[in-house]
Amino acid sequence: MRLLEGRVALVTGGSRGLGRAICLALAREGADVAFNYSRNEADATDLLERIQSTGARAWAWKTSVLDRAGLQTLARTLEAEAGQIDILVNNAGVGQVVPLALMEEEDWDRVMSVNVKGAFLTTQAVMRGMIKRRRGRILNISSLAGLKMMEAPVHYAASKAALKGFTEALAKEIGRYGITVNCLAPGILEEGVSTNLPESRLAEYLRHCALGRKGTFEECAEVVAFLVSDRNSYMNGATIVLDGGV
Amino acid sequence: MDCTTCTPTPARKDRPHTFLAHEHANCPACAARVEGRVVLRAGQVYNLLRCVQCGPQELLVAEDSTRYLEEFLARGQVPEGHVGDWLFKTTTSTCPSCLALLEAEVVIRDDKVFFKKACGKCGPSEALVSEDARYYVQAYAFARAGTEPLEFTQEAKLGCPVDCGTCSDHEQHTCLPIIEVTDHCNLECPICIVDNQYSSHMSLEVFERTVEGLVRAEGRSESVAICGGEPTSHPRIFDLIRAADRPEIGRVVLITNGLRIGRDLGFARQIKDSGAYVALQLDGFDAETHRVLRGRDLTDEKAATLRTLRELRIPTQLIFVAARGVNEHQIGQAVDLLLGEDHILSLNFQPVALTGNGGGRFSHDPMDRLTIPGVIAAVAEQTNGRIRKSDFSPLPCSHPQCVSLTYLLRLNDGSYLPFPRFIDFRKHGSLLRSSATLPATAEMHDTLHEVIHDLYAREHEIERGSEALAALRRALDVMFPGRPVSVKEELRIGEAQAKSIFLHHYMDPHDFDLERLRKCCHHYAQADGRIMPGCGFNLFHRGAAKGPDTGVPAWAKHAPHGSGTASARLRVVT
Repeated sequence: MRLLEGRVALVTGGSRGLGRAICLALAREGADVAFNYSRNEADATDLLERIQSTGARAWAWKTSVLDRAGLQTLARTLEAEAGQIDILVNNAGVGQVVPLALMEEEDWDRVMSVNVKGAFLTTQAVMRGMIKRRRGRILNISSLAGLKMMEAPVHYAASKAALKGFTEALAKEIGRYGITVNCLAPGILEEGVSTNLPESRLAEYLRHCALGRKGTFEECAEVVAFLVSDRNSYMNGATIVLDGGV
Repeated sequence: MDCTTCTPTPARKDRPHTFLAHEHANCPACAARVEGRVVLRAGQVYNLLRCVQCGPQELLVAEDSTRYLEEFLARGQVPEGHVGDWLFKTTTSTCPSCLALLEAEVVIRDDKVFFKKACGKCGPSEALVSEDARYYVQAYAFARAGTEPLEFTQEAKLGCPVDCGTCSDHEQHTCLPIIEVTDHCNLECPICIVDNQYSSHMSLEVFERTVEGLVRAEGRSESVAICGGEPTSHPRIFDLIRAADRPEIGRVVLITNGLRIGRDLGFARQIKDSGAYVALQLDGFDAETHRVLRGRDLTDEKAATLRTLRELRIPTQLIFVAARGVNEHQIGQAVDLLLGEDHILSLNFQPVALTGNGGGRFSHDPMDRLTIPGVIAAVAEQTNGRIRKSDFSPLPCSHPQCVSLTYLLRLNDGSYLPFPRFIDFRKHGSLLRSSATLPATAEMHDTLHEVIHDLYAREHEIERGSEALAALRRALDVMFPGRPVSVKEELRIGEAQAKSIFLHHYMDPHDFDLERLRKCCHHYAQADGRIMPGCGFNLFHRGAAKGPDTGVPAWAKHAPHGSGTASARLRVVT
């Protein structure tokens, strides 16, 4: 039996990058998958087809993770159509390489909003049904930059560190309802927000990484599929580091 | 001085078991028939017997307490087609004529509950106990372990109600302590449960000693009620209020007919300045009600009292004694008054208990009287659905047959929503307390969090769900401000969040149930340190403490008749 047979998952920021890999991994493991996206219709359509080709049901919403009302509607509609939402992966995030000295207030607000407030608003919309059913899996995608002292943009590192705190407090708050909340902190991956890193920073990372290479979206998505499955039943409030051994 | 964060009081511990009911059994040593306490402990069921001859005994009744409780409740379901009385259980009651303790059959007849008793001297008697058998039976499902006082003032030797004061066999600490400070009164109520002698006012020194004994036994008390007689007739009433206004005591409540408040504005202002709360006896709104229950028309005087309380915004609790055929049609009007006035915090309906000097002689039919389900039905009928029968739950901290209640959450638009519309009291049992308002305790903090999550999950499915959530958010913000708060401040904040309707059925010789007395939590504090459960004091001990010809308690003036229960035989040992 596949890991996620009969489950319904919602992945934020699912149309591209790591989110897309997660959607495909969850579908492959038997879950019906919904995702939201903010801009690229073509990517979303393509992903819908890819998910459906695995035999899973799929839904896509053009809704920002900062649109509270939109997220509430998304959760209600998805629950009405799919029956429930068992899994939430708070993946949506943005990064920006800029030193603090040059960081505008708008830069700070944008990164903190999408990465932290987005997780808050989406979780609030989805956990209503999870509490009612007394079960659920929530996984927040953080970053090694939120855990260790690295040369990472300050606002990005701060937002990813915030997700760790968000995870732990929420795990404590809603664990009593059979909902687990965990956090995955990948190191540098081959694509995504790390693609714009200066060579010197990447080289430094690889020097300290025991495997000596960057990770892939697929490797990360495999871990996500296990973390949100019923086989992972006793982990709660944990932050799992996936960095090749830094 | 009144910061309890800086001066923590010792915690009272829970009883080691949940007291469920009384049940007769044979003493394993001498085979005498003895009434015992059936308790649920560590998943098993025991009967705790106290045999006069052989002392305390313990019998294992069942290995599985959950199953036992289910079977116990099933005993109260009358099989379809059954004709005649259906025996639910037995207990110990009193002969309504001579007050001898008797074994009583608790039977269901026409969906009502009756006691059937047979006194060897006075003959058989019956009394209506509950107008709704289903409510009566299911109330037992609310049984919850009691809490012990810091110290019991009496040793259990002979059993209940002889060792009153409270003894170590008592199943609940004092939730509401009452101190009678005078036997003077300005009314002669036909239903008065007290035999006022117009002989004395309690001195300040004795009062202080009484309060001290209470604090020693309880550590901390949410409130202390001062009553009489009529306490406003006490010449030093404000000295007494000041003496009771201690850090360990949240609120001082004056139980009064309010006549002096209505005619003496200066006196009322002094009450306001003292910080005391007023528990106002208000049984209705027409002349006939007052004449029947209180002896004369008090309509204008009560209206004046209500005006003064409103003008001075004195925190007020209403006490409405409800009697069949007298004032039951005014129950809805009393609820309207509660909901319409901010300074009125709670409403306490008390189906009339016919005992004492007045009540014992009041014309009545013990087979047709108001009981808690009857009052609940009247509330539902007369409030046009604003409050429903399903909004009420038995109070688990007392015996569940003694009190029923509901809390009403104040919504942000000023209207009220009964808690059971958005929470399940069986799940959030800690909300059901013998308290008129919500206290800002750590336990309440956790409970409110759970309630909020549950409500959030069902917000769109339940009536006014979003409004209730907004109100709970407000309550959380103000009840837990992130700084130390005193007991008194905690109470004031809680009072602004919710109101309550209590129904408390005190007992009389017709429906007296020793089982209920066992878990009574409304207690009269005495000057000698004893703290006497209310109905036991009213029926058995008040006469022994006060008035003429009271050297021997009234209930001990008669020799036992025939082969009574072991409890009945206790009387001769006094």
